[in-house]
Amino acid sequence: MEPADEALCERVARRDEAAFDLLVSRYQERAYRLAWSILRNAEDARDVSQEAFIRLHEMAGSFRGRSKFSTWFYRILVNLCLDHKRKHKWWKLWVRDDDDDRAETILDRQPAPVNDPVDKLSRDETLKALGSAVDRLAPRQRAAVLLRVQEDMATYDIARVLKCSEATVRVHLHRALATLKKTVEKR
Amino acid sequence: MARHPDDDLVPYLRGELSPAERERVARHLEECPDCRQDTELLRDLLGNLAHAIGQPPAVSWARYRAELRDKLDARRQRIGWWRRPMPLALSASLAGVLLLLAVWGGRELSRSGDPIGPDEVVMGQEFGLLQDLRTVERLDLLEDLEVLRNLDGLASEHQG
Ligand SMILES: [Zn+2]
Repeated sequence: MEPADEALCERVARRDEAAFDLLVSRYQERAYRLAWSILRNAEDARDVSQEAFIRLHEMAGSFRGRSKFSTWFYRILVNLCLDHKRKHKWWKLWVRDDDDDRAETILDRQPAPVNDPVDKLSRDETLKALGSAVDRLAPRQRAAVLLRVQEDMATYDIARVLKCSEATVRVHLHRALATLKKTVEKR
Repeated sequence: MARHPDDDLVPYLRGELSPAERERVARHLEECPDCRQDTELLRDLLGNLAHAIGQPPAVSWARYRAELRDKLDARRQRIGWWRRPMPLALSASLAGVLLLLAVWGGRELSRSGDPIGPDEVVMGQEFGLLQDLRTVERLDLLEDLEVLRNLDGLASEHQG
């Protein structure tokens, strides 16, 4: 049977490099995708998700098993992403690179197949508008939405990742979705 | 009619509410067309969002892991260098001085910053706590010290 994440993390704390490699392989895609969804830049997502693994390597000993490993790790990752965003905001004002990879990724987005071409067009437009609306959400709201939608996390776990109460997560989600709803309704 | 349970609609859709809460929301939905409409929209929205967010550019995972290894090695070397010329006690007091400077600098620099004392930073050994502090951005050296404690004995023994 495959060892559980939590057991692997304990082994990482005891400097078991094979366990670390296994955890990286398990989480690399999710970590990179989540970082990219928050940061919207592939290079930054790569850097920040790798940094999260380095923190994991360094701090595996402080994982107490009170939560799931994934929750603990996402907390490291999401905090790094939010921190990164905060640190680089002033810089972005100068270089105006806030479009990043978006142009490319909008083309790459794969909506569910729809047969009617008119429907498909409006659906594509809606998805596009929705995607940019997600990009414009406040960072913590966006993180809450992404953890919900992409990582399929429950309110309880999102609260642990964002280090706030479940009620706060509900408010974040509610506000974010209300904003997104307006985007869809306007169309 | 009771207040609209807006915050509960997503947990309701995902089946995360307790039976009592669920019952309360369901009863509200029966009576309130606005919330019913909201619930439908949210259901659609949650379904579409995953597509709308899209997928990141592809990555070569072998290269990704090789880079990660390099970064880890570089980090260890940095720690090794930092560790050699100074005994722990001395580096700790240096870190203390740096910390005071950083906290002071942090207060100067961050207008909205939540005030934090050095004690909280030192006690914030758990990562999450440190992460919440604005000044942590200027505390790389202190982090190294923490890492150094965690990695005690590692520098000599590694690696595979
Ligand atoms: Zn209502």
